Amino acid sequence: MLIVLLTYAVVAVVCLVGHRRSDSWAFPVSVLPHAVGFVWLVSVAPGVLDGTPLVASFEWVPALGLSVDLRVDGFGLLMGLLVTGIGALVSIFSVGYFPATTDRARVAGLLGCFAAAMLGLVWADGLLTLFVFWELTSVASFLLIGTDDRSATARAAALRALLVTGAGGLSLLAGLILLGLAGGTTTLSGLVTADPTGGVVPVALVLVLVGTATKSAQFPFQFWLPGAMAAPTPVSAYLHSATMVKAGIVVVARLAPTFADVGAWRPIVVVCGVGSVLLGGFRSLRQQDAKLALAHGTVSQLGLITILVGLGTPATTYAGVAVLLAHALFKASWFLAVGAVDHATGTRDLRRVRGVRRSAVLATGIVLAAASMAAVPPTLGFVTKEGALEGLLEGGTGWPGALALVGVVLGSVLTVAYTVRLTVGLLGDAPHDPATDHAGGHDHRPGVLLVVPPAVLAVLGLVGGLAAGPVGAWLARVAASLDPASSDGALYLWHGFTPALGLSALALAGGTALWWATRSATATTDAPRSLSTVGYDRAYEALLVGSRRVTGVTQSGSLPLYLGIVLLTVAAASGTAMVVSRDWFDWATVPLANSPLELVACAATALGAVAVVLARQRFGAALALGGSGYLLALVFLLQGAPDLAVTQFLVETVTIAVFLLVLARLPQRFSGAPDWAPLGVRIAVSLVVGLTVAGFALQASTARTEPSVAEEYVARSEPEAGGRNVVNVIIVDFRGFDTLGEITVLAIAGGGVVNLVAAARREQRRKQLLDGADVEDLSGRAPEVWR
Amino acid sequence: MSGPSVLAAALQDVLIEPAPGFEVPSIDWAGIAPNLILMLGSILLLTVVSVLKRRVPSWFAPVWTISAAVAAGCAVVPLWQRFADTGPETLVGGAVGLDGFSLFATVVVCIAVVFVALLLADYLPRESLESPEWYVLVLLSASGAVTMASADDLIVLFVGLEILSVAAYVMTAMHRRRVTSQEAGLKYFVLGAFSSAFLLYGIALTYGATGSTNLAEIQAFLAGDVVTQNALLLGGLAFMLVGLGFKVGAVPFHSWAPDVYQGAPTPISGYMAGAVKLGAFAALLRVFVVAFGPAYRQEWQPLVAVLAVLSLVVGAFAAISQTNVKRMLAYSSINHAGFILLGVLAASAAGTESALFYLLAYTFMAAGSFAVVTVVGRTGEHRQSLEDYRGLASVRPGLALVFTVLLLSQAGVPLTVGFLAKLYVVTAAVESGFDWVAVVAMLTAVVSAFMYLRIVATMYFADAPEGAPALRIPAATGVALGLSVVGVLLLGIVPGPVSDWANEAVAQLVVAAP
Repeated sequence: MLIVLLTYAVVAVVCLVGHRRSDSWAFPVSVLPHAVGFVWLVSVAPGVLDGTPLVASFEWVPALGLSVDLRVDGFGLLMGLLVTGIGALVSIFSVGYFPATTDRARVAGLLGCFAAAMLGLVWADGLLTLFVFWELTSVASFLLIGTDDRSATARAAALRALLVTGAGGLSLLAGLILLGLAGGTTTLSGLVTADPTGGVVPVALVLVLVGTATKSAQFPFQFWLPGAMAAPTPVSAYLHSATMVKAGIVVVARLAPTFADVGAWRPIVVVCGVGSVLLGGFRSLRQQDAKLALAHGTVSQLGLITILVGLGTPATTYAGVAVLLAHALFKASWFLAVGAVDHATGTRDLRRVRGVRRSAVLATGIVLAAASMAAVPPTLGFVTKEGALEGLLEGGTGWPGALALVGVVLGSVLTVAYTVRLTVGLLGDAPHDPATDHAGGHDHRPGVLLVVPPAVLAVLGLVGGLAAGPVGAWLARVAASLDPASSDGALYLWHGFTPALGLSALALAGGTALWWATRSATATTDAPRSLSTVGYDRAYEALLVGSRRVTGVTQSGSLPLYLGIVLLTVAAASGTAMVVSRDWFDWATVPLANSPLELVACAATALGAVAVVLARQRFGAALALGGSGYLLALVFLLQGAPDLAVTQFLVETVTIAVFLLVLARLPQRFSGAPDWAPLGVRIAVSLVVGLTVAGFALQASTARTEPSVAEEYVARSEPEAGGRNVVNVIIVDFRGFDTLGEITVLAIAGGGVVNLVAAARREQRRKQLLDGADVEDLSGRAPEVWR
Repeated sequence: MSGPSVLAAALQDVLIEPAPGFEVPSIDWAGIAPNLILMLGSILLLTVVSVLKRRVPSWFAPVWTISAAVAAGCAVVPLWQRFADTGPETLVGGAVGLDGFSLFATVVVCIAVVFVALLLADYLPRESLESPEWYVLVLLSASGAVTMASADDLIVLFVGLEILSVAAYVMTAMHRRRVTSQEAGLKYFVLGAFSSAFLLYGIALTYGATGSTNLAEIQAFLAGDVVTQNALLLGGLAFMLVGLGFKVGAVPFHSWAPDVYQGAPTPISGYMAGAVKLGAFAALLRVFVVAFGPAYRQEWQPLVAVLAVLSLVVGAFAAISQTNVKRMLAYSSINHAGFILLGVLAASAAGTESALFYLLAYTFMAAGSFAVVTVVGRTGEHRQSLEDYRGLASVRPGLALVFTVLLLSQAGVPLTVGFLAKLYVVTAAVESGFDWVAVVAMLTAVVSAFMYLRIVATMYFADAPEGAPALRIPAATGVALGLSVVGVLLLGIVPGPVSDWANEAVAQLVVAAP
């Protein structure tokens, strides 16, 4: 298993690195890993189908408990055969398809990377392994879509594809992690056995379904798939019809037997599926580009498969697996055929294509693939569609099952209609149009490499239908790995006149009639933009606008606002802490005042602070602030701390001096209050914050459990340091190191300031001498910061 | 014995006549060698260039800085050996911890220094801002970050924070010709000063409640005693959380971050996302998880959970509407901070390891991303809007590819380090029972993936505007870009050795020997 993946890796690296001189070898070489993988799968098939899955696991990040768990069971085998088999045919086709002007080695290398990632995805057992490979396929798809398209709409579509599948992948991851937690396991197989229950499981399942719906282009996320058609046709054939878009279905199929009954799983699956079936079929009828018509058809068919595997009953699971096989064969064949037509005639427009019938092989391939797609007997498409209808008619799933049946029948009618339309459009000869005929110039018969791969796939579809018995039995062993009860499923080419046969006939007749009735109406019109695309664009816009509004409010660039938010949060957090702890300080322990004078001084200090706020001029505010500070010095003095009072006094004086210096350069008055904060708001914020801080100050003052360090200083000052002035002793003795450091810092800083000032003066003088002009004064700018 | 230690020993002998009861802490110089190298490197650089002035060639300062960072990184190796042999220690009188955590953080800081020096080497000549002060400040702030990460004492932690922050304020404002740079510096300084004050207030309250600023003693006190001053302790926790929350840029203390990241010279923005965040998160982890974790986690976890959820949501949603790529990255850094807070929230060994691993990963991603912004911004940094990234893939395919890898990593795409980092923190949070926060984190990852992919799509799916000046990738910047991409991919594919290392990098508190 690992050898297969390694082969892919080696070939991909060779392609991506070694393409300097020529790259014509790239696609032939890229067939090799597909062949190796296919042969290996065939060789292990008997054992796997007997119910002994191959398991491989290796540690990736042991510290994280992260390992890569792979497990090839029956379903993994089927998907692996599709990935490698169709991959080989696509590679062969690409040899003839890509002109030498494209970077063939790059495309081949990326396709190899993609195939490896896809194999990893279908074999993944570990939940994280699944996610890792899932995202890698998204990335590879993105790189392949972005290969060479230059039109603006195609680019927008590619962006949509990337965003939708990228976001969906993360949704899947969230869902898988939750499921894994609920089930206490890290593997899909473990999850299925654990069958976790609990409140989180339905939520997780919805997340998973969102992820799978995005990847498998299910309603309402189907709109990215037509956009992805900007990719080269072989890429579309491989990724966007046969393999990658089946990734969501793989996950649904593995989970459905266990979880289909839980929560909203079935309604979601059926509503999304039916929506996709009808919308895809309907829109396919209205496309003029054959490839786009196929893409919409793929949406429709994927809806059918999702419904079948998602319902989770043994019969529908079996039918889902069968339809999946049939679809992969005929849809890849279709895409390759359209690619061959495009290559040969230079157009994919149903109104312009001519001369396809000249290549008998290609025409036969198209007819066979069409028969299988429209479920005409005796193709594989027919027998599997029969199986699907049988499974749905069996019922047992309530209204979702009934809705699914109606949706599938209507969808089949649409499928027949668009298939007929496509076939007629491609094989019929459009009227001569001088302009395009001249411009075309391509008109040549497609090479053998271009016609054989689609024909092979189409013939397989026919053979599979004719050999319905053995194929059905084989598929039953495949489906048994999903749900053991599916092992008695079977396919019949003919099993009498049953309701299913009636519905099939109805679909064929109705579809043909629908095509006939609408053939002129759909011949000219181009499709309008889909509602989902509109919805997506609206959502995109709304998200941007909403986010812009939120940002505008919270991120105004206003410093006071930022500060206000921080302050309020602080008050809220610490206030809550105080309230929660119920650890109130005791008012009785807080002395009010030692003397009436103290009360007066305190009141005056507070008044000064109020005056600061009320002042309209900067100068007045600065003075009031200074006054308040001086009064605080008085309070210190009254409390018996003359040294502190002196310090406060000096600091206040210096501050006022600095203020006056700065104010000379600023406007006299304060700028107006910012709009967001009327007076009331500002007062409220200040009060809340002030009260909180004051509360903690009181709390702290009552919290002392140890004796004050001051007492120790006083006691030790004379005997140990021989000084009577405690403050002096502290500064030069007890904390002498601090003082030394502080003096040093001050000295250096002072020296620096002196130097700077001197240098600035010199510079100023030099400039004045040079220019004879005043030095530019930049200080007048009042930045918006303060608003 | 090396020069400084001889001098210090002599000073101790001569100046201090030990008073009875006065213990002079013995200083294990070897144990704090990485920090010393950064600090001395800074001071020596300043001395050399001020003495020699113009005679110093322009390559000297960046080469010096990188050498200092590499030397500091190398100095970790013997210390790690010592830690592996003898277990965690506490040095300098119980003030500095020598454990796996501090050593791992030191290495991450050194990596950030190397990146910023490489970027500055090209950025400064381009903007005509060449002067060695940038490098001096970078080394100083790195020393501050290391100090914070290895602090075993709240006061040491505060000193580290101030060394780190003041240097960062100055560097933010140091682009002389861009008003936004000065505005950013002013905002950062004013708000930062407040937050430092809160932190200090919180330290004071905690001291009041527990009777010590030493983390080991606080831990022991909380484990052993019935706390009588609950309000003080809770208030202290809240205030410290505000102070450190501001530094990590957690919502609602994030308001500075977009303005500052956008206004600061771009290499400095990248450095702030790496080293400054690391310092603050290291402090958070040491204080909250280690010191307060065992006894008090129930009290602070709800607060951190709120911060984490707000950061995740606001960071993701605000980022998508931005049209300026640098600002987008700023908001995304808020989202990343939310993810790292998940690791803090877990309050477990796994949580600490995951947060450290995330910080290492983010250092690489941020350095590379901001390097791209530096290059695309061109002289004067006028080209930062999303429009300026149109068609980058066709003009400079290599640069676009590098940026794509870095953005995918930030979005958390597998095979890049971003995926593992996110997985790591989310797992840690879930193991500690914070499922719902983890779910929120995953959902915001979807939203921010949208934003990263938008940049990628702009580069690949839009036509390059006509007449844009040519884009040059200077040599040193190219090296930085290459290093970051290699780091992102290498750590994303074979993280084994590094994650093993991170697993041992758990902070441990050791009571100082009496």
